[in-house]
Amino acid sequence: MTSVGPERRVLVVEDELLVAALLQDMLTDLGCAVVGPAARVAEALALIDAEAIDAAVLDVNLNQELSYPIADALVARGIPFLFSTGYGADRIPEGYRGHTILQKPYHGSDLGRALTGLFPAWPLPILRVSPVRGAVAW
Amino acid sequence: MPHLAPTLTQTIAADGLERFRQNLGPFVMAAETTRMAMLFTDALVGGHPIIFANDAFLKLTGYARDDVLGQPFKFLMARGDNPLALAQVEAAFNGESGGHFEMRDRRKDGSQFWAAVFIHPVPDTAGKIHDHFVSFVDLTDHKREAEHLRFLLDELNHRTQNTLATVQAIAVQTLRGVADQEVVETFEGRILALAKAHRLLGHHNWDAVTLRDVIERILEPFGVRDSASARFSIEGPMVRLAPKAALTLAMVFHELASNAAKHGALSRACGRIAVTWRTEAAPGGDRMMLRWQETGGPPVAPPVHKGFGSRLIEGGLAQDLNGDVHVAYERAGLVCRIGMPLLPVAVG
Repeated sequence: MTSVGPERRVLVVEDELLVAALLQDMLTDLGCAVVGPAARVAEALALIDAEAIDAAVLDVNLNQELSYPIADALVARGIPFLFSTGYGADRIPEGYRGHTILQKPYHGSDLGRALTGLFPAWPLPILRVSPVRGAVAW
Repeated sequence: MPHLAPTLTQTIAADGLERFRQNLGPFVMAAETTRMAMLFTDALVGGHPIIFANDAFLKLTGYARDDVLGQPFKFLMARGDNPLALAQVEAAFNGESGGHFEMRDRRKDGSQFWAAVFIHPVPDTAGKIHDHFVSFVDLTDHKREAEHLRFLLDELNHRTQNTLATVQAIAVQTLRGVADQEVVETFEGRILALAKAHRLLGHHNWDAVTLRDVIERILEPFGVRDSASARFSIEGPMVRLAPKAALTLAMVFHELASNAAKHGALSRACGRIAVTWRTEAAPGGDRMMLRWQETGGPPVAPPVHKGFGSRLIEGGLAQDLNGDVHVAYERAGLVCRIGMPLLPVAVG
């Protein structure tokens, strides 16, 4: 399902509570609505069935479960997504390496650029966070 | 395997073995009982037929002695039909590559294993080569351990990145609404720089990384790869850094670039940064002299009080890397000069 409203609805799949909360904040700053977060594969699959989703951010390792079944479900529905992982790209199985891989930790602007890349024809309205940050009392 | 009448090769092998026993006498006993897997092959017949196999070799490969005696050497190879593998073996028999190579062998049960193989010719008193001596070291455990280490290192890298992601999440959520947004962004930027440096080291197995790798990785968010703007020029010879030096320099470059974004060259559209370095021989070992020069920014002045950035740059380099650093607030822009010792021995 794809929403028709102007707000991008992004599914968050992340089992680390604090990281999921940060991801929610980042997405809110980017003007997206958050679906989830889901911490388990079954939970994420249920959300995909029940909710309107435009894109997804998938942690790879969900407390011993791997998120590839979620990736497959998203592919089957034509929903774009990116992987968000502490592993290097070489740990992602070959069949999934074509998808965007964001290496944790990352800045909100990195996420914004990656999400924009998922929607070339429909860029995010604003990137409110600047990629360049100042130093305090340098 | 059905027992067949001796073939011509086997008869020749038996003759070879007889000659071999006569020539080498008591050493045959030593060869038979050592725990190192070894063979002798006949150099007078094509294909290097096996004329002797010790117990250790039979144990390693699962063959009975009759299975291998008289068989050409390639009988043992997992890829005996591969011309490249055969050429490598032939080269080793000819004394090329010092007779050392690694090969995949086939056990009797069809399973395969890696062995380090050493082949040496055995000349008689007249210098004529009748036989070759071949020894095998099973590399299966070694390869498995290397794989396991690789796995552990991957896990460690992964956990480091995840831990830093959690630190980032805690910091941002703790400080949000309490501290200035600028403070949050600065803290986050530093954590991300540290994570990048760790990631770079992880990619290189915590072995030496190059100075250019570190600079490009850290300056990426500041547009170093953005060729259109060409704000950066980065020039210098290949320099390898020890992990500690890579981590410290990563943080130093991050602070310099952050400062430039806020007060220096990167705060103006026309500002530029040139990073250049050279190496020089010194009595205590090679040293690197690096210069970070900003131009085109607003007029700069020394900060009123020293914060984390200056402390890290001045203290970190001096304490961690035994280097020296000089920051000058020149009219054209900030100039930071860094001198530091390099890795004592070239790696790789």
